[in-house]
Amino acid sequence: MGRETLLNAAIALGLVAVPVWAHLAGEPFIITLTTKAVILALAGVGLNIALGHGGLISFGHAAYFGLGGYAAGILAHHAQTFTPLMSAPFIIEGTKFMPVIWLVAVIVAGLAALVIGALSLRTSGVYFIMITLAFGQMLFFFAISWPAYGGEDGLVIYVRNEFPGLNTLDPIQFFALCYVILGLALWFSHRFGRSPFGLALNAARQNAERVQTVGIRPFRLRLTAFVISGMITGLAGALFADLNRFVSPSMLSWQTSGEIMIFIILGGVGRLYGPVAGAALFIALEHFLGGVSDYWLVFVGALLLLVVLFARGGIIGTLAGREVAHD
Amino acid sequence: MTETILKVDNVSKAFGALRACDRVSLDLRLGEIHALIGPNGAGKSTLIKQIAGNLRPDSGRIEFLGRDVAALDTVERARMGLGRSFQISAVIAEFTVLQNVVLAVQGARGTSFHFLRGALSDRAVTEAARLQIERAHLGGREAVRASDLAHGERRRLELAMALALRPKAFLLDEPMAGMGADGVAEMTGLLDGLRHEAPILLVEHDMDAVFALADRISVLDYGQIIASGTVDEIRAHPEVRRAYLGEEDAA
Repeated sequence: MGRETLLNAAIALGLVAVPVWAHLAGEPFIITLTTKAVILALAGVGLNIALGHGGLISFGHAAYFGLGGYAAGILAHHAQTFTPLMSAPFIIEGTKFMPVIWLVAVIVAGLAALVIGALSLRTSGVYFIMITLAFGQMLFFFAISWPAYGGEDGLVIYVRNEFPGLNTLDPIQFFALCYVILGLALWFSHRFGRSPFGLALNAARQNAERVQTVGIRPFRLRLTAFVISGMITGLAGALFADLNRFVSPSMLSWQTSGEIMIFIILGGVGRLYGPVAGAALFIALEHFLGGVSDYWLVFVGALLLLVVLFARGGIIGTLAGREVAHD
Repeated sequence: MTETILKVDNVSKAFGALRACDRVSLDLRLGEIHALIGPNGAGKSTLIKQIAGNLRPDSGRIEFLGRDVAALDTVERARMGLGRSFQISAVIAEFTVLQNVVLAVQGARGTSFHFLRGALSDRAVTEAARLQIERAHLGGREAVRASDLAHGERRRLELAMALALRPKAFLLDEPMAGMGADGVAEMTGLLDGLRHEAPILLVEHDMDAVFALADRISVLDYGQIIASGTVDEIRAHPEVRRAYLGEEDAA
């Protein structure tokens, strides 16, 4: 087994060990904190597909995170106020049923990524970063100024949405649900990275002209990757809304986009467990340093600077070395 | 008459006042190596780019397999069977030799939109890739990253990628640039065997290689074809000697 596989296994085990210990020790807050790390890691796994594999520096992934969150919040809002989401031409009711909420979140985020991607992928470099940021901010200001769903105040989900066979209000059960979803996303991300599509996408990141001369269109690869990326981040948004039982425009803000990007850079760009390691470290720092100082983000900034200057591969790259291509 | 695969007809391209290509006509026939020579800045690269689809001619017509390709971009021309190598080595640096050639194979087969199966676990694809790796004399180097290859090996990797496309014509832009004598000899041997698979339009500065390989030679100078013919005709052509071979003769 390679060093990276061992490291990944250790991270995966650590993410289970902490909440199990907290459950036994009666520390529900720690479970919630780990769940938060898991959900943010999932958002990072989504962004990593566009950023790590595709080289698409999206500074607007909060858009998909927030859309997923609002999908959960709006559906739950209509279910708990017993008002239909839409009454003409046919009635659509709200729902508290997680699988339906997730499906809606993934579809909405995917459609948004399709439109935003189709427009912004015509540019590259700094322009791409700025356009994705602009779209994210558009949605942010739209959410703030739309009073129907709380505007600036956001939406409250009174009781966490339901999943058949589970009591989602029990922290450890909700954690397990999120952990399994992260596991599935990581499995997909692993297969994706080694698939023909992943190969072509990674090639297009390094040398787009070369990819064209073998008869593959980089734009189609990138747009597809961008949509998949947005869908996974959207799913994370729906879970995040349920974790907090609250959705607000801050989920759509550019700071959120930046945080998701920080997870990846801290953990290791393009590495399978990069976003997991990064999100876990970020939440740990928030927890431990946040208690010491209100300005804990200064330390994160310093750490980020160190990683960018001296450890480009992030946590995974530093501990596991260069990725093994194949035998 | 032998079949014409690629036909460049009266193509002109100007950049401002500079006429990079001035009414250039040439053709590439089945089974031949057609060398395009000329001093630096003669317009060879501009012509190659127009054939490959990176640049649009101001006027004139380019036909590939009997079809006007004006409306087709680089990707569509590659899919039609135009196998290209670049003047400056263009391989995927972080990929291994095998990954690079597999990329070309899946490009040729149109199988890039699979998300869950392994790119290297499809036997048919990897076997096709390994075959071309062997043919480019890179056997045993499959797991080496392209960035770790020697210069000559990287050029042969490009050739393997072009081969994997099973092209109808090769467009090779200085495949021997920067190579030592051994590398040139090896590449010459490789290209010699390729002409029967698909004809080659070869841009090359190494005159020994060109004279050893070419069935026909066209000479480009200041954007114009000043001579076109067999190796012996070109060697004897007075204008060519003056424009291009003069220095070599004097030496």
